[in-house]
Order: sequence, then C-alpha cells, then structure tokens
Amino acid sequence: MTLRNKRIVMGGEGGQGVQAAADILAQAVFEEGKEALYIPNFGIEQRGGVSLAFVQIGGEPIGSPKFKYAHLIVALSGRSLERLQGYMSEESIILYDSSLLAPPQVSDEVIGWQCYDTIAPEAFAERRLTDRRQSFPEIPRKVKYIFGLPASEMAQNKLHPRVANIIILGATARFTEIVQLESIKKALEERLANKIKRDPALKDLNYKALELGWEAAGRMIKIPVSTGKIFKR
Amino acid sequence: MINQPVVQEEKLLTRPVGEEKRAFMYGNEVVVWAALAAGTEFLFGYPITPQNEIMHYWSRLAPRYGRGFLQTEDELSAGFAALGGIMTGARCFSATAGPGTVLFQEPLSMAEMMRIPLVLVVQQRGGPSTATVIYSQQEVFLTIFGGNGEGLRVVYSPGSHQEMYDFTIKAFATAWEYRFPTLVLGDGYQAKMREPVTLYDPRKKGIDLKPPFPLVGLKGVPGVDREPAHWRNAFSVEEELFEALKPVIDDFHRAAPSLSEKEEGFPEGAELIIAAHGIVGRSVRAAVRELREKDIPVGFFRPITLRPFPDKDIKNVLSACPRLLVVESAQGQLAKLIRIAVGGELEHALKMYAYFRPGLGITAEEVVQEARAILSGERENEAAMSLF
Repeated sequence: MTLRNKRIVMGGEGGQGVQAAADILAQAVFEEGKEALYIPNFGIEQRGGVSLAFVQIGGEPIGSPKFKYAHLIVALSGRSLERLQGYMSEESIILYDSSLLAPPQVSDEVIGWQCYDTIAPEAFAERRLTDRRQSFPEIPRKVKYIFGLPASEMAQNKLHPRVANIIILGATARFTEIVQLESIKKALEERLANKIKRDPALKDLNYKALELGWEAAGRMIKIPVSTGKIFKR
Repeated sequence: MINQPVVQEEKLLTRPVGEEKRAFMYGNEVVVWAALAAGTEFLFGYPITPQNEIMHYWSRLAPRYGRGFLQTEDELSAGFAALGGIMTGARCFSATAGPGTVLFQEPLSMAEMMRIPLVLVVQQRGGPSTATVIYSQQEVFLTIFGGNGEGLRVVYSPGSHQEMYDFTIKAFATAWEYRFPTLVLGDGYQAKMREPVTLYDPRKKGIDLKPPFPLVGLKGVPGVDREPAHWRNAFSVEEELFEALKPVIDDFHRAAPSLSEKEEGFPEGAELIIAAHGIVGRSVRAAVRELREKDIPVGFFRPITLRPFPDKDIKNVLSACPRLLVVESAQGQLAKLIRIAVGGELEHALKMYAYFRPGLGITAEEVVQEARAILSGERENEAAMSLF
C-alpha cells in the first residue's frame, strides 16, 4: 500500500523560524526518497506579520502546492493560530506552542535585536502592552486533537530561546508518522552547515532541541489532550 | 542565401551537471541549473519578485562555470542587452515577471522581427499592474500576444520542477533551432516552492542544442566574400514590410505542428474534460485521478505549449466529449485560447464551464467539488461563460 500523503501547515510570527522548520521537514522526507513539497506563503512584507508554510509529504505524487485542509496544523503564536483556522477540518490535529511567555526576541540583521511582535501594529490590537503573555483564540471548529507543547518555555529554561522552532519541528516530525528523527537531524545539519562551522556547539544544541520535541510528541501521542476549550484562559 | 548565419564552433564551457542527480530545489534554482546545463553564457536581468532568485543563484554560480551576469537599469535594457549578446554569438537569456513582462514586449517584438533566439523565463505574479508579488496565470496573453505583431513566439507552460528543468533546456534548443523568441511561463508558486528534480546533462540525453552563432561581425568582406548580414526591424514602405514578414509568419506556421505539446489523462469514456495549464494542471490531474478512483468519468487536457497551441489535440478530445471545464488562475485567458483552437461547428456544440480564480491558487479539492457540481447539473454553462 502506498503511504498516504500528509498535509502540514505551520504558522508563526515572522522571524520565529517557521519557514526554516517547514523546509527542513520537507528536505528530510525527500532525503528518505519519498515525495515532498514545501512552499512558503510569501507576500511583500519582509519581517513581522504572520508567516505560513505549507508542506506535503508521503508516497503519492503531489498535486497543488497549497491545499484547503491540513492533517497537521502547527502554530507558533496565537495570532498565527487565528490565520490557520481556515485549514482545519474534523481530521486535523493541532499542535501549538502553549508557553505562557512572550515570544522570544529574535535577531534581525538590519535592525538588530528586537521582539517580533512589536513590528506589526496589529499585534498590539488584542492585548495590553503590559501583558506580555500570548493569548490563544478559541477554536470554533471541531478538530481531531489539540496538543499544547510549551516549546518557548522549554527552549528558554533548558536550552536557548532561539531553538523553540526546532523543538516544535521535532514534535511536528513525530506527529507526521512519516519521517525518521535521524533524517531530520541530517537535514538540519545540512541547513545549518555554515553556522555550525562558525560555532560547532550549535549542532548539539539543535539536536537536543529536536530530541526534546520528538520525545515530548511521543508522550503526547499516548495521552491525547482531546478536543476542548483548552485555549480559553 | 542572404542572412545565412555562420555556425561557430561550440565554445568550451565548464559543464555544471555531469552525472544525473536528484535534488530538492526551489523553482528559481531549477531554472538556473537548466540554463547552465544548456550552456547559456550570460544572464541580463532586472530584479522583480518572484523571479529574483534566478538572478541571485545565477550571479552566485556563473563565475564558477565561466558565465557572465549583468544587472541592467530596467527590463527594456535587459532584453535589448540580451539581444545584443545573442547577435554576437553568445547564448543569453533573461527572466522577469508581471510588469517586467510588459516592459519586455519591445525586445521580444524585435526578436520576432529579426529572428533572434531570445529565451525568457516568466514567473507570473498577480495583475493588473503591481498587484501581488505572489502568483497568477494572468500573463498568458501577454507572453503570447503582448508585442506589436503576430505572436511569433513559442511559449512553454511547465507544471513541475522536472518540467521546469526539461522545458528551460528545451527552450534554448527550440529558440536556436527555429530562431523565434521562446518563453518558459512559470509562476510564483513554481518559483518559490521546493520539490524534487532530476538534473542531467542535456547532451547525454541526446538533446540537440545547436551551438550558438553570431549574426554580426562575420568574417570576410560583405558583398564580396559573403552576403551582407542585414538584420532589419524597420521598413520604408508597406510592401517591403509585408514581403519581409510573410516568410517569417509562414516559417512559424510550418514549425507549429512539430512544436506543439500537450498532456492528456483518462480521455476514455469521459463525460467531462477538465482543461488547465501549468501548475493548475497538477490540481486537475490530482482531482481527475481522485474522481476516476470513484468511477466518475472525467478526463483532463493540459496544453504544454500555449503557443503554438495544440489545436488538433484539443479538437480530438472534445469531439469525443463536448463538455469542458476550464480551470485557471486568470479570467478566461486559457478558455479563450481553447475557443479559438476549437472553432467552427465544435464550438457551437461545446458546453463550456468555467472555474476562474484570477491571481488565486486552485487546489485539487476545489476542482473535485466543481466537477461534481457540473456532473450533477448544478452549474449553468451559459452563465459561466458570460464571465469573460
């Protein structure tokens, strides 16, 4: 039997590393000799705003690069989850960063260190400036499962704030049930080759982040949170 | 014979693709590898999204393989510089999108009149005007009939990275074989997405890439040793133009049958044919496969060359099943081409339905839904066609 394709859409704030995570996932599946397609949702904004990435992987030829419904929806920020609602169906599994943290700062080559959620003015609309915690919208549709993974918290407390997206990638990869952890490691190393050359410690850091996410997803698969209003606070 | 070009010996260029190699790449990257593999020597370009990375990758790789790159001040200049380069005997190309394709019409028209083998890759973005930098199929008419003239061009519409590679290489072969400007019509999705592709050396596949030849600066004294090289795009009187243009048009029509290409799927017993080109062809192919699995009799037709259009093939398909759904990310540009191709009695008998989404991507799910609605009699074909 052919391996049915899985459709994954990932969303986050510009700079959170959504595109890198999606790209690495697709690359890893390709390296395993399976079908893979990755396409970013790109517009004219260079940074800030919600960034979406579409990935299709599996054993069948891939049709259109974008799709209507996703098997797996991955949200790295509350605002992106709102944008991702259109891709939900009753078959969808949702994975989101459930950290009660402000999204970590990101480095920008042009304007230096910054907090990405201060760039797009609409980011202020829904929250008070003093409240630095994320708020997640309720999911109006019926979906299969919702999983919360405090990736930003895990990254900050155990590793480094910058690898939150890699923790999410590890969990996402496991949820696909298509790709091996080793392949993701290989693709990740390839992608970071230049950076690792400059700072060899990055390899271990990223591997640890991957494993953290992969293992967390393994535990979550055993104990599904099921559907519900877990986003209500 | 006048204006017979002198064939130059093949230049020695470092070959970028040796053994066949499977890679996971962006579409813009694929275009660059194809151009390198085809022995292209120079890219003249001006940046515009979503084709920028063609310039990025080319300028990074060109020095490694002894090729050249120049960013000009705009698309007009890029086009004319490429024409100049080609006239000196170098294989040159360019790439553009959207408003850039509009500006490219002047060099393209000159290439038609002077029979200069210009290759242009177009990655369609939303229109009209600046619109979006993302995606559309709205540059079909522009690439075919955009110039002041008769549309004497070859336009390929690939639908995957593999085809992007194959047809970019083929575009160079076609342009130099027939000496008409040849375009590869991609889009923003194909430019920006990443998927597998197998790279190969076209020579090892027996693809006949004619060595480029100079049109000017030829050896010998004109009028004594050889006919003068006289490439004209300006004429004093009407008759003179007509006399010069007629053989060019005839050449194009003579070449048309051997140039046109298409893909067909499940035509047997189809009660509805779904037509699309380029990336939308993938959605349609996937939709038709899904419907056929459920024993719903639909077939698909995808023109690979939009110019010359595979007239006879679409006629054949539609004479067996005169019910057609046209799916495109434009407001009926492909549908109009099909109507022209079909013509006559068949056009009157044809029941044509439309799923037009100008500037918007189309998924297989949407095509399945639309085909089901048509087959269950929920759609009016008249109403659909009044949309354009």
